[in-house]
Amino acid sequence: MTHFTLKKVLVEEGAREHAFTDEILSRLSGIPVKNVRGNNLSAAVFDNSDMGKDTLHLLSYQGEFLKPCPGTREYICCGYQILNVAANCPMNCSYCILQSYFNQPNLRVFVNLGEKLERILEEIDSKPECIFRIGTGEFTDSLAIDPIICWSDVLVPKFSKKKNAVLELKTKTTNIDRLVAGKYRDRIIVSWSLNSPTISAHEEHKAASLNKRLEAARKCQSEGFVLGFHFDPLIPHPGWKEEYLRTIELMDKYVDPKGIIWISLGSFRFMPGLKSIIRARHPQSCVLDGEFITGLDGKMRYFKPLRIALYKFMRENLEKWHKNLGLYLCMESDDVWQKSLGWSPKNSQGLRRYLDRRVVEIFG
Amino acid sequence: MGIPKITDITSQLVNPDKIEDSPGPYCMSFGFDIRPLAQSINKVGLVNCPLVIKNKNAGLTVIVGYRRIRALKMLGWDRIPCGILSESDEVTPLDCLLLNLYDNLATRKLNEVEKGMVLARLHSLVPKEEMLEIYMPLLELPSHEPTLLFFLKLEQELSVQIKETLVQKRTSLQIAKMLLKMGSEERDHVFNFTSDLKFNINQQKQFIDNINDLAAMQNKAPYELLTEPGLRAIIENKQLNNPQRAKAILKFIRDRRFPSLVKAEKTFKKKVSCLGLPKSVNIYAPPYFEDPHYRLEVLFREGRELRDTIKRLTLIEGLDELGDSWE
Repeated sequence: MTHFTLKKVLVEEGAREHAFTDEILSRLSGIPVKNVRGNNLSAAVFDNSDMGKDTLHLLSYQGEFLKPCPGTREYICCGYQILNVAANCPMNCSYCILQSYFNQPNLRVFVNLGEKLERILEEIDSKPECIFRIGTGEFTDSLAIDPIICWSDVLVPKFSKKKNAVLELKTKTTNIDRLVAGKYRDRIIVSWSLNSPTISAHEEHKAASLNKRLEAARKCQSEGFVLGFHFDPLIPHPGWKEEYLRTIELMDKYVDPKGIIWISLGSFRFMPGLKSIIRARHPQSCVLDGEFITGLDGKMRYFKPLRIALYKFMRENLEKWHKNLGLYLCMESDDVWQKSLGWSPKNSQGLRRYLDRRVVEIFG
Repeated sequence: MGIPKITDITSQLVNPDKIEDSPGPYCMSFGFDIRPLAQSINKVGLVNCPLVIKNKNAGLTVIVGYRRIRALKMLGWDRIPCGILSESDEVTPLDCLLLNLYDNLATRKLNEVEKGMVLARLHSLVPKEEMLEIYMPLLELPSHEPTLLFFLKLEQELSVQIKETLVQKRTSLQIAKMLLKMGSEERDHVFNFTSDLKFNINQQKQFIDNINDLAAMQNKAPYELLTEPGLRAIIENKQLNNPQRAKAILKFIRDRRFPSLVKAEKTFKKKVSCLGLPKSVNIYAPPYFEDPHYRLEVLFREGRELRDTIKRLTLIEGLDELGDSWE
């Protein structure tokens, strides 16, 4: 199990009335708890170099819990839905876009999830012709603080019963115990974010090692879970080909490729403001060394041929391992798809259809 | 001390030598041109008297009217009418500072360096929360802690030379922010380099960004790169005038920072020039080759000329080979 140290808990007014808060606090004996007003934390954080990663902040979230992945129309987007259960993450990956994405500190957990969840499930039921690919791992790690929050107890039983939805739990940890101890497997995808051994060791601070992640994946697979993998962000670095090959070899060692629903490939991209934050928070990082240009969506991304080389190499070697892995690119253009994967879904709708078909193939 | 009491103070004639020359702890004037004010006083006299306070050295510290006193000294007045406060008036340093601040805000906009001066002076007298809630909006700044910290650093760490450049709008706040991320020695090296070459603001940004990246990639300090032979050769090239030298340096740095992109750009340019396009036709690559579409530009005066140009274009053999230049 991957452990993270919490030093304090903040309970925002309005959070106390939720039973979920009491349940969480009951698992945190010995950690100081402070009640806070909603807006007295606004003064900004980002000079606080740890971003409040050791502070659990419980609050009632007033925004939308289910929202589409913030893709841009200039690139092909997969049509994923984000279940917004929390914001920020206890790990400290140098490349993490959340460093500049949020203007609030702390591990913010939304304790009113339970009451909002019913409405989300109703929405899913109201559109039986749609397939909802939903994940909790965009604005936080899906399992990093699951031993404390126990989202898997709340979410997995509910989503497992939905015939037109899948729930993807995306992580860089080994916190699978609650998941495995439960009885639900159907429509649940447990996914790991992977990278090269060097990037993983030097840039993904506090994340589980690659071996440990893949050991956890093997355990989940042996327990009947469908797996997903995400090579995002791919980062060219000295010896990257041999390095990514080593990761693929490790995957081969630990998991059966037939039980993988999809593997996404994405190269490092970021809003320009993230650069100075990375330089300040991770001065030894190599993730800014590449040739970044301004993309059509205003984000910095690698010069196109470098991206194509990354994807093409990954595709060739992953397909040597297994032909049917549900490979797809995250936020790329039609020409990059063609040149690297040899085909293209043409547009976001096409990619949605492709991934929906994967869901049907695997789960029925 | 209350506002009515200050209003009641009658002015006294003061020997200018008794008034401190420095802005002192209360004044926040930076980067100003004293001449228009001196001209005005010379023409119509001193309309409002400065306010000073007796200090421990038996001298006078300026509270309000620093620029006026500078102008009057320049004009050679041997007596300056001033309102004078003393310790017995129970006026606190914060009172003095706020007197100056509100007096300034009523008559002019503070520049960025002056805003930093205000905040730095308030910093030791007022809690942070109050600075964020009251004084940042007063200075037309967001109530945002990183912004406050930036302005404090701007006042405390930037050299007078950089501050002057900022006030004269020959550099920007964004560049000041980039410079503040460097150590003081390397900041001065980099700043002097860009100043000597008279880079415009966009060029400064591009240069500092790329030099920082290259330094990080090579694990060197940015100023170490500035002494490299390739750059020195450009600087010492007497055939180049200053704008040409600035462009050559930016190109040199860019070539090293973006080798694949630069190679693709060169290849594309070569391919297009080999096509033998009519003079009225040009083909442009998209920015960074990110968009897959290229752009054809045809200049013509009338339809017949356009038709002729298009015909000539269709006969150019090399067109079929024109495509992504990195392939």
